[in-house]
Amino acid sequence: MITQEEIHDYINAIPPSPTVLKAVLACIQKGELAKAADEAAKDPALKLFLQGIVNKPIYGFKNDIKDLKQIFGILGLAQAEQIIYNYMISLLTPTKWELFSLTNKEFSQIQDSLSFAWKKILEHKEINDRSVFSSISLLPASIIVCEALFKAKHDELDLLRSVKEIDYNTILKRLSGMDLFDLCAKIAEVWEMPEPIAQIILASSGKTQQTDPQITELSKWMHLLFFYQLSQPICTAAGLNDFIEFNIEYVQDIYEAFQDVVM
Amino acid sequence: MRAVVKNKIGVFNPQGFLDGTTAPALLTIEDIQATKALNIDMMLVSLGKVVFFNKNGLDVFVRLLETLHKDSGTVVGFCDYNDKQYTSIEKFYGDDLNFSLFRTYKIATMFTVSMQEVKEKKSVLVWHEDPSQRSALAIELFDRGHTPIVCQSTAEFTQKKMQPELYEEVVYNSYLGLLGSKIATRVSGNAIIYTVSGFLDAEITNNFDMSYHKNSLNVGFTLFIFDAYKVVSMNIHGVNFFSKLASAGAEFGANICIVGMTFEKTPANFKDELEDAGLIFFEKMDDILQDKELLKELGGSGGGSKTNKRSLNKLLVNQLPRFINATVNTMEMMTNAKAEKQDVKVQALTIAQTQGKLASSIGFYGDIDGMVVLVFPLSVAKKSCELLLGEQTDNIEDILDTLAEFVNIIGGRVKALLAEDKVRVNITLPRTYENVDDVLATVNERKGVQVNLNFKGENFTFFLMR
Repeated sequence: MITQEEIHDYINAIPPSPTVLKAVLACIQKGELAKAADEAAKDPALKLFLQGIVNKPIYGFKNDIKDLKQIFGILGLAQAEQIIYNYMISLLTPTKWELFSLTNKEFSQIQDSLSFAWKKILEHKEINDRSVFSSISLLPASIIVCEALFKAKHDELDLLRSVKEIDYNTILKRLSGMDLFDLCAKIAEVWEMPEPIAQIILASSGKTQQTDPQITELSKWMHLLFFYQLSQPICTAAGLNDFIEFNIEYVQDIYEAFQDVVM
Repeated sequence: MRAVVKNKIGVFNPQGFLDGTTAPALLTIEDIQATKALNIDMMLVSLGKVVFFNKNGLDVFVRLLETLHKDSGTVVGFCDYNDKQYTSIEKFYGDDLNFSLFRTYKIATMFTVSMQEVKEKKSVLVWHEDPSQRSALAIELFDRGHTPIVCQSTAEFTQKKMQPELYEEVVYNSYLGLLGSKIATRVSGNAIIYTVSGFLDAEITNNFDMSYHKNSLNVGFTLFIFDAYKVVSMNIHGVNFFSKLASAGAEFGANICIVGMTFEKTPANFKDELEDAGLIFFEKMDDILQDKELLKELGGSGGGSKTNKRSLNKLLVNQLPRFINATVNTMEMMTNAKAEKQDVKVQALTIAQTQGKLASSIGFYGDIDGMVVLVFPLSVAKKSCELLLGEQTDNIEDILDTLAEFVNIIGGRVKALLAEDKVRVNITLPRTYENVDDVLATVNERKGVQVNLNFKGENFTFFLMR
């Protein structure tokens, strides 16, 4: 159904991160928000994306904010970096969704919801690490990878899943030895994202053990957050509720705290 | 959301959080209707991957499930919950609990029909605080061939459940809501046993699953036993039902037996009429099941229909490429490797070497009818099961169980492909054979189309017959 060659072709087809984005991220790493805004202005699509984000109701501004320097100022370093990564991931979205009933606007809403909730979680845990903050950006990439690999196999998958409760991630792992989260980590590697991002993503599948207790703890929160998001009507209607398997035992010890912080 | 359908049970597997906002998108009336169309006996929602639910969320599911039960008598409910979730559901619904609760999916399977024989000889430990529930659980289990042991007190249950290895299953925190009125069915060896009770009147026609019976005939069962120990009496409608069943089975050489029926409150001439129609009466179940000679004569020790000489017809041969493509594509999907067609011949099923091979079959009926038989070398069977099992296994029962799912996928694909040509068929439950000689006996030298496929140097056989 999915061959090793197809996986390799997919990895090889991941485009390098655009020069402008690299420059913006480099400025953010140095703490130079004004310069980051100048670099971002060179990419009209990025500019539009940032304006769209800041003017969403959750930010609560009465008037439209157009100036990029102002936008970067509002976001701050950590959130600006996370949003640039969100933008990078959105570059991988298909022009037309076939496996999942999604639009790019809905995908963007999923990204925003995850980012918003992740911020609350990190505030609760008093974590200020920018890499950890940005790691949530990579999580929805698993949806894009799944769409790309399985969209032509819709009928076969439906048949298979009609006789056995088996998620896309497991099917891919059994067929190729790699799962959707491994491929997300590959994207992080190609895009030279900080190492903790890939580590948290891998652990958030609920199937990979990590030795670092902080990464394990964060990955539990991310796993539960992902399923909280996948239970929302926008995701269930898109057919995303069961695209990967929820490891309920993995998150049992943080469930009550999660309710208090996120729900 | 799509349901997983196996052994006539449709299960929806939502994940994460269920509340009044999220539940309506998870399960819709269309999902229920699509699953109902697959001729199921039970429809369940698994809570195994649900970390949070509230009453509003469950209410959405309960309303849909109860509507289905009212429409079709399908048993509906929830499964795979933990003790805390069970307590919550009881608290939410209290005396209005009309749906069923099965602590695990495996427990649910014990309350429905299956082509799989109850091989486990251990008993089933049953406990419920409500005595009427305890009895209901035990009776339904017994009617399906299990041996229930009912605990009479919490203390007894607590003590007995300390040794779960002594039991096939421990049934507790389970509840039987409104059950269907379908006649309980089980498989014993090569015999199908139906359990009937009370007064047999015109209702028996509604309660008897005729499509299951036809499926059983199609896949080669020829011995059908009605366990009638609990029958009080029958009227002329009951007699007509059995007579018609005997006539319908004649084409397949089927034998229909009635066991344990007393004629104290039933006119004695009914028995004569039924005997004239070909039914055979026995006093005790063991009179048949323990008499190997008799069992062989009646067809309950394997072997196929002696009178069914139906041969291939043009309609079926025209559809042959679809059957082969469905099989090859499914094989390739399951093994992630290429299968090569070697030769195609019209002949009786011929397997050069039966040792070290397994077989499975699935029947289909409707605009065209027939049966597909697949014979796998053990290594190919194991390989084709890896995707579904997720690991290599040498456990034959696991492999056979997965082969059943495998032919189910092929059956589903054939059904869909034929529908494109406006040819409507239904598929039977799959059947598996640990011994290839059993499938040869079922086919009984009838001719069909045999296609030998090469799969990484090993021969895999596809056989299509009527």
